[in-house]
Amino acid sequence: MPRGALAAICVAGVIASAARAQEPTQRPMGGAKPDSSLQWTLGAQAIGVVTRASPAHANRALTEGYLTQPMVMGSLTTAGGRIAVEAMLDFEGITLERGELDAGMSGEGYIDRRHPHTYLHELVASVSGTESETAYSLAFGKGFVPYGSDDPMVRPFEKYPINHHISQIVERLLATAAVRRGPVLVEAARFNGDEPESPSDLPNRNRLWDSWAGRATLLPTPELEMQASTARVKSPEVPRGGGLDQRKLSVSLRYESVPAGVMPPMPGMPGMSMSAGSDMDSNDSAPSGKLVEWQQYLLVEWGRSSDYDAGSRVFSYSSMLAEGEVRHMGVAFAARLERTERPEEERLANPFRTPRPPPDFSILGRTRWDIATARLSAIAHESRFGTLTPFIEVARQHATALATPSGFDPRAFYGSDRMWSFSVGVAYTIGMIHKRTGGYGAAARNMTGMAMPGTVPMSAVSEGSH
Amino acid sequence: MSLGYRRHAPVVLLALLSAAGGCNASDPVVAPPSPPPPSAPALHVDGQGAVPDRYTAELWIRGDVGYTTTWGTRSTANGVTRGNAVNIWNVAGPAPVLVDSILVADATTLGDIQVSDDGKLLVVATEFTPGSIVIYDLANPLKPQLISRFSNGDTTPGVHTAEVQRVNGKLYAFLSIDPGGGQAAKLVIVDLSNPASPTQVFVRTMGNPYVHDVYVREGILMTALWNDGISIFDIGGGGKGGSVANPVLLGSARTVGGKVHNIWWYHDASGNKRYAFVGEEGSGSIGSSAIGDIHVVDVSDLTAPREVAFFDIPGAGTHNFSMDEARGILFAAFYNAGVTALDVRGDLGGCDATMKSSDGRCDLGKMSRELGRGLADVGFPVYVWGVQSVGAKIYASDMLNGLWKIETVP
Repeated sequence: MPRGALAAICVAGVIASAARAQEPTQRPMGGAKPDSSLQWTLGAQAIGVVTRASPAHANRALTEGYLTQPMVMGSLTTAGGRIAVEAMLDFEGITLERGELDAGMSGEGYIDRRHPHTYLHELVASVSGTESETAYSLAFGKGFVPYGSDDPMVRPFEKYPINHHISQIVERLLATAAVRRGPVLVEAARFNGDEPESPSDLPNRNRLWDSWAGRATLLPTPELEMQASTARVKSPEVPRGGGLDQRKLSVSLRYESVPAGVMPPMPGMPGMSMSAGSDMDSNDSAPSGKLVEWQQYLLVEWGRSSDYDAGSRVFSYSSMLAEGEVRHMGVAFAARLERTERPEEERLANPFRTPRPPPDFSILGRTRWDIATARLSAIAHESRFGTLTPFIEVARQHATALATPSGFDPRAFYGSDRMWSFSVGVAYTIGMIHKRTGGYGAAARNMTGMAMPGTVPMSAVSEGSH
Repeated sequence: MSLGYRRHAPVVLLALLSAAGGCNASDPVVAPPSPPPPSAPALHVDGQGAVPDRYTAELWIRGDVGYTTTWGTRSTANGVTRGNAVNIWNVAGPAPVLVDSILVADATTLGDIQVSDDGKLLVVATEFTPGSIVIYDLANPLKPQLISRFSNGDTTPGVHTAEVQRVNGKLYAFLSIDPGGGQAAKLVIVDLSNPASPTQVFVRTMGNPYVHDVYVREGILMTALWNDGISIFDIGGGGKGGSVANPVLLGSARTVGGKVHNIWWYHDASGNKRYAFVGEEGSGSIGSSAIGDIHVVDVSDLTAPREVAFFDIPGAGTHNFSMDEARGILFAAFYNAGVTALDVRGDLGGCDATMKSSDGRCDLGKMSRELGRGLADVGFPVYVWGVQSVGAKIYASDMLNGLWKIETVP
């Protein structure tokens, strides 16, 4: 059976389950009351998008269509939320094998295209507890390393920022410990340093636990988060080891308005939505995707990833990014400004691919990318069968060579050092969509409000219990 | 939590972000300083054959004919080109003259090129997928004719280097294969006795993470294994029963800094075979920076090689070597520093304390072994990939500018 058919069957099953779970008669207690029942959530999403990049390469424009970010996600919790499993399947390996046009993006053998993620994007189990006013947890599995900001897939834009490999570390086999007391959250993790080599790739056994990360987060209000994090990643681009190591730094500030009636997460429990004083026994009790009140989201971040050879720094790439979104009555406007540096590498016959692993430790040069992106979206349809959100995104990119002389001249390679990107599409979501990434157990943070392109707040979720 | 704390916390983080941004602005580039002006005399440049449209890679000169390969993707005002061309030169005059080119299909880089010792074959390595060697007939050296192309599952994703040498009378190509596609780096040996139908006789995973090159002489195989240093094998000349199809390990050594890229086993005029010169290829940015030393390994006992000396040009990195063994001169391509000529006669591992590094190795620079430096004074950036000593001249392939012909004695 073709892989696409398998994926379609899988997604159809999820949609059916999620639609059934959204029937009012099956609305559960959510996580509101700690008990030993098994509770679950399920959701799915996919984005159909057409992108025109001009110029994309050699003074030629490219127009391509994709089914991007096709994902199924779910969670299981029991023991009052103290035992939890988070899971995400990502089918980009089927729908996005050639990569998605995204000028300035690079990583995992793709350049100026975003690479597909692995099929098993996340499968992490966590055990949480509390002692006095301190919550703590241990998490284990494949997922998001506690470093940097949220993965771009749970942020407002369809097009990823190009700092993805500077500001996030994803798809690693990890063991994370988290401790939260009051507004202070501290996480530490060990994980495998090697990046995935293909969508079906699993972490290499000889690389387990060779890397580490730590993140400190301050949550002074339910709306505000400030994090500083660092990571030491062994040989990410040479899977068998022996390549350049990376040292990463990230600091960020995140603000997100909390809709009335949405409760921030309890220490040691996953964040849930509920109507204060109610048992959430009907859809009406929870805020919908078309909240009447205004919602705002803001993220400002700085990150740096440096390559080290035997303890000596040889290359360094930094990034600054600010993005925000305002939403009212299901209509949202978002804007993003980004300045990120990247290495230029030898390209294959396909100009959007680079050899992985690289054949040595050298690069062609470094470029700085300045990118401004704007997005407008509106919820067009919302029912128990899902939400449809059309959107349009426009981006303007400017590439500047930093090394002189450089082995890479953006103006000559692209035909101009200034490019446009236009994207039009529709996001489809059903059920519970993860709104945050990488916060396991006691590290679960505000999981409400602003969401993926076209998605609804967590209150309109697919949940069940047994 | 006090209201004051809530009010000031975002300000504190914004200040932190601003400070980080300041760091960003002040620390945008990590690159070693440019190499200082050489203290050694300049080697006189006879002439240059320009290649502005592609990056030039390796070279091979035989008689009055030269061959250079091309590398990677180069973007210029005239467009974007791939490293899929072999350039053919007439090098009889002071300046090399480009006379013809061959385009190799399905290649983005042609790293290595070599003419067989009998002058009959030209062998070119290709990257990336599919990796291969392409074999040409040189009955007319200016008009190479394709004989065959060797490629199989073991040569994927690319043949990084191809060393053509004769062992016990039979011609072989030693292919260093890039890692990729879930496969580790490998050494593949191909029998070229019938160039129309090359036959693979050996394959073995080696290198950490790369095997980048080999050096073969008198039935001894020396492999450049990056972080694993060098390993020396008997393939028919070591007296340990080794053969090309069954190499027997004699000894290994890790050089300081690792990243072992290439080797030259020096046989001096009196027949001594004491030293192997090892090139370290550190991180570099094509055209602007490079790092990496020359390491001198005492191989007088092939079972117990050890590093005894090194040569360093601050702010520059070495690449391929060639030797005038009769005169005891090592010529080394040094990327952004041009070409250096080192006097390697005599004892390289014996020096007084003032000439030693803190780890006890002799520093050839402090021993005043550098005889001259070429291409450091041409007035524009160079990035020298390879060098070949031919009689009283050396030829240097410059990634940015093409092929140079240089006097060997300042």
